[in-house]
Amino acid sequence: MDTGNNQTGSKPLARNDKYLWDGSGDPDPEIRKLERLLGRFRHHGPVAVFPKIVPDRRWQFLRWRMRRFPVLATAAAVVAIAAVTFLAYERKPAVTVVGWDVSRLAGTPRIGRNTISGKETSRLRIGQILETDQQSRASLRAKDTGHIEVEQSTRLRLMTMGAGLNRIALDRGTIHVHIWAPPGRFVVDTPSAVTVDLGCAYTLQVDDSGAGIVRTSLGWVGFKLNDHESFIPAGAACATRPKVGPGTPYFEDASATFRAALARFDFEDSTPQQRTDDLAILLAASRQRDALTLWHLLTRAEEGQRVLVYERLRGLAPPPAGVTKEGILRLDQPTLDLWWNELGFDDISVWRHWERSWSGPGKPVLAK
Amino acid sequence: MASRPDDSVELLMTGPGCRSVREQSASEASEDAMLVDAARDGDRAAFGRLYDQYARMVHGVLLAKVPLAEVDDLVQDVFVLALSRLAALRETGRFGAWLAAIARNRANDYHRRSLPEDQLVDDTSEKDIGNCGDQESQAAAILDAIRNLPAAYRETLILRLVEGMTGPEIAARTGMTHGSVRVNLHRGMQQLRARLSSIPNSNGPQQETK
Repeated sequence: MDTGNNQTGSKPLARNDKYLWDGSGDPDPEIRKLERLLGRFRHHGPVAVFPKIVPDRRWQFLRWRMRRFPVLATAAAVVAIAAVTFLAYERKPAVTVVGWDVSRLAGTPRIGRNTISGKETSRLRIGQILETDQQSRASLRAKDTGHIEVEQSTRLRLMTMGAGLNRIALDRGTIHVHIWAPPGRFVVDTPSAVTVDLGCAYTLQVDDSGAGIVRTSLGWVGFKLNDHESFIPAGAACATRPKVGPGTPYFEDASATFRAALARFDFEDSTPQQRTDDLAILLAASRQRDALTLWHLLTRAEEGQRVLVYERLRGLAPPPAGVTKEGILRLDQPTLDLWWNELGFDDISVWRHWERSWSGPGKPVLAK
Repeated sequence: MASRPDDSVELLMTGPGCRSVREQSASEASEDAMLVDAARDGDRAAFGRLYDQYARMVHGVLLAKVPLAEVDDLVQDVFVLALSRLAALRETGRFGAWLAAIARNRANDYHRRSLPEDQLVDDTSEKDIGNCGDQESQAAAILDAIRNLPAAYRETLILRLVEGMTGPEIAARTGMTHGSVRVNLHRGMQQLRARLSSIPNSNGPQQETK
């Protein structure tokens, strides 16, 4: 997990830090005691038993046979060429059917023109659209990725599906998502932001105007549009609007005054004075837990307002060593990340490690 | 917010000795890649060597998040899962980072699937250091204190103090940069000291008499 703190990383080590780092130098008695006490929990597991690995050996066996019987090899080659030529002319290339298994929870959901009824399971393939009406609901499952429940009046499309990335576009409606694929592998496009799973369960809603909201119930979610990022831990929510992108995340138990001021600050076309007033309201109404919101506001507030946010956040969650006021005011990324990690939500390096070009809208890609 | 450039590893490795560190990492990555390739070809001994090299790291990553009694079973789960997905690993030299991600995900999955009453605390973890009469319960209390540190620090500290790995070893096994491991160790120890010293009548971590 990368804290991204470059400055501290190159600092000369104190004597005790040297022992902590690589066990060299004079042993630090305090650390030695911790090692001795905690060593009892060390890995002494039984020798692992793994299933037999069965690689595909058929072609090696065939090569051995072919060396022994050259006439047979030549004949086999001729037959193989003839067969390939015949198939190339007579048949279209086979397409591997990858997708999510879809089952009906209520009503009659549709994949394209086909309705799903009874207990049958259908498959949502890349490029296809799953739609539910006001009476229907559906469940999607992919063994290595996760489970999605699709609520009424929802329309979603499967954009890509492969070992590296699963991508769905939610045009409108509500989905409840539980993901067990590694962080960063499951992405949902909405009309105004991209949702990136970072090991979590969440609910995502998009209305007909393209505005959306994500509510995280476990782990955390990244919300991104171009360089605009929001991190939403369990218990928090974050709205998004077309042409604006993700707003500022907040805990849903924050006061109504706080949430209303934040909504105006994020999305209303206010005058500079109104924005300053809204910022003052939400800073005054912020609790320690709202450090989540204030940390995000550092990058959203105007330059002149940023110092107010810094001072309030400093009062709620003192910055760790290495985080300077100057670094924060000039929005130095490692400094911001270091403070985030101190807030105790989750390690931001998980996001930095998996970060990739999620911002653009996904285009359907057929799996090979 | 602007994204950090991808050359952070280089930025963190500009100090003296960075060349040898880079060469060492490269050679370990290349050895891992050979073992992964061999395992894909059915060589169970090669996968066994990967297990030997990474079991402590996986154990530490899991111990940072799940109850002690569950860790050994989950270590096995993580390696079986890795074995079944080995063919999907594209950058074979980044086996460690990939495996660590599987372990973290498996730990998260454990909590998702546990019933609320099962999302427990170890039976020894609620003991106050001040009331610890023996070393075992004192150790459990210290482990609990580490697990309550921010996520950035607890994993690195457990790998160092419990699993006995050095900083460079942690970096090589988890795919983290040396700079990050160093910062996590340093700041994690500071916070651990503060937490342990704030507990009334705490007798740990007092310095061991040499």
